[in-house]
Amino acid sequence: MMRKVLQKIYLGLIFFLLYAPIVTLIVLSFNNSKTRAKWGGFTLKWYSELFQNEQIMSALYTTLIIALLSAGIATVIGTAASIAIQGMKNRWRTLYMGLTNIPMMNAEIVMGISLMLLFIAIHVTLGFGTILIAHITFNIPYVILSVSPKLRQTSKHTYEAAMDLGASPLQAFFKVVFPDIMPGVLSGFMLAFTMSLDDFVITHFTKGPGIDTLSTKIYTEVRKGIKPEMYALSTILFTTVLVLLILVNYSPDSQEEGGKKARKAKKRPSKVRMMVVRRVIPAVIGLVVVAGGVYYAALSQTMNDEKVIVYNWGEYIDPEVLTIFEEETGIDVIYEEFETNEIMYPKVSSGAIAYDLVCPSDYMIQRMIENDLLAEIDFDNVPNAKYIGEGYMEQSRQFDPENKYSIPYCWGTVGILYNKTMVDEPVDSWSILWDEKYKDNILMQDSVRDAFAVALRYLGYSLNSTDLDELTAAEELLIEQKPLVQAYVIDQVRDKMIGNEAALGVIYSGEAIYTQWENPDLEYVIPKEGSNIWIDSWVIPKNAEHKENAEKFLNFLCRPDIALMNFEYITYSTPNVAAQEMIEDETIRNSEVAFPDLSKLPELETFRYLGPEADAVYNELWNKVKSD
Amino acid sequence: MKNKRYLAGPYLFWSVSFVVIPLLVIVYYAFTSDEGGFTLVNLAEITTPENLKALGISLLLSFVSTVVCLLLAYPLAMILSSKNMNQSSFIVLIFILPMWMNFLLRTMAWQTLLEKTGVINSVLNFLHLPSLEIINTPYAIVLGMVYNFLPFMVLPIYNVLIKIDKDVVNAARDLGANPVQTFLKITLPLSVPGVISGITMVFVPALTTFVISDLLGGGKILLIGNVIEQSFKQNSNWHVGSGLSLVLMVFIIASMALVAKYDKGEEGSML
Repeated sequence: MMRKVLQKIYLGLIFFLLYAPIVTLIVLSFNNSKTRAKWGGFTLKWYSELFQNEQIMSALYTTLIIALLSAGIATVIGTAASIAIQGMKNRWRTLYMGLTNIPMMNAEIVMGISLMLLFIAIHVTLGFGTILIAHITFNIPYVILSVSPKLRQTSKHTYEAAMDLGASPLQAFFKVVFPDIMPGVLSGFMLAFTMSLDDFVITHFTKGPGIDTLSTKIYTEVRKGIKPEMYALSTILFTTVLVLLILVNYSPDSQEEGGKKARKAKKRPSKVRMMVVRRVIPAVIGLVVVAGGVYYAALSQTMNDEKVIVYNWGEYIDPEVLTIFEEETGIDVIYEEFETNEIMYPKVSSGAIAYDLVCPSDYMIQRMIENDLLAEIDFDNVPNAKYIGEGYMEQSRQFDPENKYSIPYCWGTVGILYNKTMVDEPVDSWSILWDEKYKDNILMQDSVRDAFAVALRYLGYSLNSTDLDELTAAEELLIEQKPLVQAYVIDQVRDKMIGNEAALGVIYSGEAIYTQWENPDLEYVIPKEGSNIWIDSWVIPKNAEHKENAEKFLNFLCRPDIALMNFEYITYSTPNVAAQEMIEDETIRNSEVAFPDLSKLPELETFRYLGPEADAVYNELWNKVKSD
Repeated sequence: MKNKRYLAGPYLFWSVSFVVIPLLVIVYYAFTSDEGGFTLVNLAEITTPENLKALGISLLLSFVSTVVCLLLAYPLAMILSSKNMNQSSFIVLIFILPMWMNFLLRTMAWQTLLEKTGVINSVLNFLHLPSLEIINTPYAIVLGMVYNFLPFMVLPIYNVLIKIDKDVVNAARDLGANPVQTFLKITLPLSVPGVISGITMVFVPALTTFVISDLLGGGKILLIGNVIEQSFKQNSNWHVGSGLSLVLMVFIIASMALVAKYDKGEEGSML
């Protein structure tokens, strides 16, 4: 009795560990607030919005189709291989098991990269096929490792006995061996399926433009804050599977709880159950997936030749804007997102994908101009560019000296966001980020240039410094600060500050407005030692295939009402003067954070591209800080 | 029996094309410099203090996670395998079920749970208990690893345990062995293949992860996975990244060879 109770408690604890995060996600899917840090009341709106979100739905179907196909193919290849391996001499078996272990042993990222290199070398276009091949590759070992232990436990003699009794090898296999290893094969398939569903790293490297699985979609969202529709989708997926399992397991045998009934009596309902498990459910799931796949494939088939391929930061446009543009012009927008300038650059420079419109930051635009990657914008096609404030075009000349290649989209500063209830003294200097009092209450930016900019400005140096002494001093300062830092994050600063997780955080001004909406205790300052001012601008790569459409889209984005929509959605300051005047909320229109009078601010510098050697120095020093 | 060998044909073809050849590409990168000449510099990168430290922490954390997983999973698998078939297959699926929620999301959810003002601490505060401050520390990373990889330990062990013939166990009991002896002499040795699979499936992803340390370590703890990821993604230096990956692989192969040797010894005594 005692033992039973202990067992129950133990199972309960493990279940708590496994399901606590899942309950959290389910709760978040009903949260009427865009950030996960705050409970904004109960809502079902994310569920209704989910089905209108074409991007998420097609990512879902890509994920499911790849998971089904890769798990199925891997199960066939893997089971066959396991059987062959079982019958081999020791030396061969070791060789094969070694081969099997390679993908298991290898870092996922190395496998992803190595496959990507291979595909590029043999000129296979990255896309659905390459993801599928990669998934099959890492799924086979899971099948083999599930089936092999089973096979080792089956007796060779039963198989031989069946053959002696006149069964063909195939018959003997399916009648004798297969039932024995069935649980292994099934769990291999399930493992493979779920691994494929869950994979991120390998997909990330082997995917092409315009195709996303849920994982890669979520990853682009992690830095900008997960869309609550994602929580809703996960909840639906999860409950569907849960309900299926309950149906399968409980309906046919609920009567036979008796336990120790005669074995024969037990067989029958369990056969029905196995039938349901093996045939009906996969058939239903398969049908839904195929139907959905066809539906969403049909949706993308309607694409006409008129298109524009846009490559932008994650969460950096109001999706409604894309729909309006498509309706007004009949041009399809193929929309891709990147997380950092550094990830964007090689994709554009390699020319593998011909983007029509890209939105990099200042220093990266300079680098692209220097490397002759950009086409001149024909301003006659973009008359709405006149709404962009003269001051911002002036600022742009730092990286685009003749204003030929870029049109500003968003801009902002970098400063300190602090919580008035947690910080007593006035905040006006970077020095507060080195104050022992706020140990474990400081959030720093997790990117090289931003982190060094803080330290360099605090020391009174330029944030474009390439002087090794200055950089080493900054590095030492950052190492000194590390024990005080709660976490190095990128856009999670936003959620953490809203949720009162930290007192101080280094943040972009564009996020400040949004965080203040959600948590009025927060205040944004630009420290007196000076900081960074940045501009993200639209540019057209030289290899763009739809330059005219790109200019149409650019002109559309510069239209004041559209710029206003975007501003209200992403809250990053717009350089569009006409849009600024149209903002209804007076406090926002006159906000010192969103639209400061630049002449009254401390010295602000734009990042410049410092060349590969300086880049390497920065990276090396940053690694030292991070690994200290 | 001979024709069976052909069954491995498709697998052999697949492995060579998509595992072995790509790895050779990595090896090529590891031993060449940007200019294309032969060099050992990329491999030597591992000896810098930062990288050595990252490797050390990775080995430590993944070892701890594997041990914790094993300690949690073995009793669990035993309990599950002692249940009758209908119930247990349901319970096993319960372990796979969480994976239907994306792992990035699930790991993010631990942030919400563990944060200073998070769910767990709110409950603890309410009960006037001391708060739990493990977010952004190695403990949180170990928790994340155990959480993410526990099913990979449970399932293989469970799969072997249910295959063990109950009569063997009963025979041991009849012959006078007490439960502890029965476990040590019968159940444990027979379950070794499952344990080995489990260790492989937990240790390797734990050693090479970079996402978990990113999400739960607050960017303050660099694992070797993070270093490799950065050299590919941020510094776009594929040569150094390949060099480090190669070193990492050597470490994994070495530790797995140890485990495999033990495995073979056991197999011999099993027969």
